Amino acid sequence: MAINAQIALTVFMGVLLIAVIAWLTRIEDWRSYSASAGGVVSQGERSEYIEQEKPAGIVRWLTTVDHKDIGILYGAYGLFAFAVGGLMVAAMRIELATPNTTFIEPAVYNSLLTSHGITMLFLFGTPIIAAFANYLVPLIIGADDMAFPRINAIAFWLLPPSAIMIWAGFFAQPLGLGFGPAQTAWTMYTPLSAGVGNDPAGGAGIDLMLLGLHLSGVAATMGAINFIATIFTQRDENVSWANLDIFSWTILTQSGLILFAFPLLGSALLMLLADRKFGTTFFLTDGGNMLWQHLFWFFGHPEVYILVLPMMGIVSYVLPRFAGRQLFGFKFVVYSTLAIGVLSFGVWAHHMFATGMDPRLRASFMAVSLAIAIPSAVKTFNWITTLWNGRLRLTTPMLFCIGFVSNFIIGGVTGVFLASIPVDLVLHDTYYVVGHFHYIVMGAIAFAGFAGIYYWFPLVTRRMYQATLGKAHFALSFIGTNITFFAMILLGYGGMPRRYATYLPQFFTLNAIATVGAMILLVGQIIFVWNLVTSWLGGKRIESGDPWNLKEDGVHTVEWQWLDRRIETALTDGGDEEPIADGGEVRTDGGTESDDD
Amino acid sequence: MESKIFDKETLLDLTVNFIPLGIILTFIAVFAVVSPWGFDIRASGIMYAVMIIMFTALGVLTYLSGKAIAGDEKTKPVYSQGQAFLDDSEPIEHEEADHDVDQNDHAVDETDDDETGAGADNEETDAESDEEVTANNDEEATADNDEEVTADNDEEATVDNDDESSKSDN
Amino acid sequence: MDESPGLSDQYRKASPWPVFVALGLPLSEIGLVFDLFPIAVGGLLLFCGSIVGLLLESEYATTMWKPLIVMSGLLGVFGGLLIVADGTTDVTLLTRAYATFAAAIVMALGVVAGKLFVPKRGIPT
Repeated sequence: MAINAQIALTVFMGVLLIAVIAWLTRIEDWRSYSASAGGVVSQGERSEYIEQEKPAGIVRWLTTVDHKDIGILYGAYGLFAFAVGGLMVAAMRIELATPNTTFIEPAVYNSLLTSHGITMLFLFGTPIIAAFANYLVPLIIGADDMAFPRINAIAFWLLPPSAIMIWAGFFAQPLGLGFGPAQTAWTMYTPLSAGVGNDPAGGAGIDLMLLGLHLSGVAATMGAINFIATIFTQRDENVSWANLDIFSWTILTQSGLILFAFPLLGSALLMLLADRKFGTTFFLTDGGNMLWQHLFWFFGHPEVYILVLPMMGIVSYVLPRFAGRQLFGFKFVVYSTLAIGVLSFGVWAHHMFATGMDPRLRASFMAVSLAIAIPSAVKTFNWITTLWNGRLRLTTPMLFCIGFVSNFIIGGVTGVFLASIPVDLVLHDTYYVVGHFHYIVMGAIAFAGFAGIYYWFPLVTRRMYQATLGKAHFALSFIGTNITFFAMILLGYGGMPRRYATYLPQFFTLNAIATVGAMILLVGQIIFVWNLVTSWLGGKRIESGDPWNLKEDGVHTVEWQWLDRRIETALTDGGDEEPIADGGEVRTDGGTESDDD
Repeated sequence: MESKIFDKETLLDLTVNFIPLGIILTFIAVFAVVSPWGFDIRASGIMYAVMIIMFTALGVLTYLSGKAIAGDEKTKPVYSQGQAFLDDSEPIEHEEADHDVDQNDHAVDETDDDETGAGADNEETDAESDEEVTANNDEEATADNDEEVTADNDEEATVDNDDESSKSDN
Repeated sequence: MDESPGLSDQYRKASPWPVFVALGLPLSEIGLVFDLFPIAVGGLLLFCGSIVGLLLESEYATTMWKPLIVMSGLLGVFGGLLIVADGTTDVTLLTRAYATFAAAIVMALGVVAGKLFVPKRGIPT
């Protein structure tokens, strides 16, 4: 039996390798410089590139090293993961509609809980930011491409295998492979995750998840190195540090955070894997559990800022466009972004206030945690001041930006309380924490992502989305977010603990409300996906490179100029549909003309 | 050079980071005075280390970024974000510089906010603002700017910028 | 983004290697961690081969022999470390070490064969 399996694996690998080689040799036909044939490479890379175009069809997407294509791939991948993670949590919320187990078993609930967290943070959050950054940073700073285009492609292609490995348990169980998905929560606290005893929390599912996470960390680090190199070396000569745009600043800071945080996660994951598979005892001896928590949160807290900083950058970039003026206090935002970047490495133990660590140590982390609230608050005031007396145009991206600011205030203020030790000791591990960070990750991070997607949708697709659907998406998302997560904050005040599939009957009402909110969110996201897909395939073409009428307010930016030139050169084909724009008219929100879809 | 870069304006921009620095410093002082758990070299050492390292790191980064940003600001034309190599974009003047002009403050603010203006008197306001900014620059030129970075001598500024950027990129 | 509008769309920007680097790395990781000999060998070969392809394509290397030898050597060292570590762990690491050795040997053989049988060409520098 074992021999047969070995033979089967050998055959599988052999076939795979031969298929790869065969495919490569086929590909060589359109490649002028072939590795083994020592072809024509004398003219240097650049001239070669001009001679040949990208291959057609699916091969183009598999082989592309163009930052725009990779950005689109990242975006599609991120949205797919968002859908998966969203459906997971929909199942969990349905289960939580009633106090007892009715819909899914607690073990399934735990698996979904784990995968929802990891999917949203690593497979949706980080990639969707990389999508924006890949597409836009080179355009905005005037670079031809990323500094290392091939590493860029590798970083993306590591993600699909990592997703498969993270979700592997869900496929393995029905296939009868003898292991299920991990049930460790995304924090993977030892000793539960270290596989003590008969490893009830997922078995090989955990191993695969650790490997998948490790891979996604490698991918993120490669991307970060690429962005740092690009922003430092590839800027247009007019782009000095003083007028580097805010989005690139946040990407630069985020990349710095990734560079310091993700390798540490990778090492910790490998140590945990060694504990599980090779009999080491990093996290199994005295103090091992604390060691894991320290290592994990030294990565885990910067991860929060890795996700939120670029999204703040998007809001700081998009919001002024529809306020008809420049961002108020641009340099305040830049300096506070950098401050957050540094301070985020000095706050990790505020996730561990309840662990019984030395109170003096705890106090120092409280100090830094309270200090880091200031730069975030500064940005909030900058956004509000930018809106003040501005000529606001409530287009869909603008609505999401304003929603971002609103949700970010609630999420941020609830967070400041958690930074205080006495309050945290009461609220630790309750739904208050869940409500707080979901206000940030859903209410702020995802909202800014939506704002970016709607704002740059015409840039990428040269079509306009359907404005009514976009506004419906915003309304449902905003209402759903606030219903769901405010109920969670109240549940936390009531003392309901996190992470359980069942709860006491006294929490029923608020949980039911939260489930209703989650369903509203779900409907909103279905509309979003529908809108994206149909608009991409058949939306109205835009006719100029300024679909948002930014020139009128003097807030036009370079990526739209790039689009303008692209449209001019491609004017011969298409363009027969009548153009329209969501923000095209001043009185968009009255919305008579753009709402006819 | 240093004092030139870190003038009043730059320091004002940096206040945003002085506040968290101040908070950390306050906590260091408070913990030094009030220590309900006593002093233990291991625990208290780490406690102070966390805060002092963060304080130092933030201080250093604030200094470096301030130097990079304010330095570029004073030697190269400054554009609004995302407009650096836009076809018809012109360098903006430093916002705060305008507030020193005592006369007609309101008009300056307006043109500052939206460069092309929003109304029909678009061109008029633009012309006005150019004049004013130039005048303003003349007054201040001796104080902090060796070369005038005005809309008039665009060419000079760009040439200057070429040299600088090629240097700093390497 | 220069005077030639839209030109960046006409650049040929494609490389077949990244996707295989990204496939080889997880395969070799899975093979080594779960002690699946064929997967480990195949994954390592795919990973190292694709890296060599990348190096050639981006002209960091002019022939594939030197990078292959270097990688073969690195894998040999890694396999050696596994054998050293084998004595200290509860779990046997020997098959994993053999897998890395196997991949290293295949690559080394490839280099020997290539040196012997592939005719020298005018290699552009």
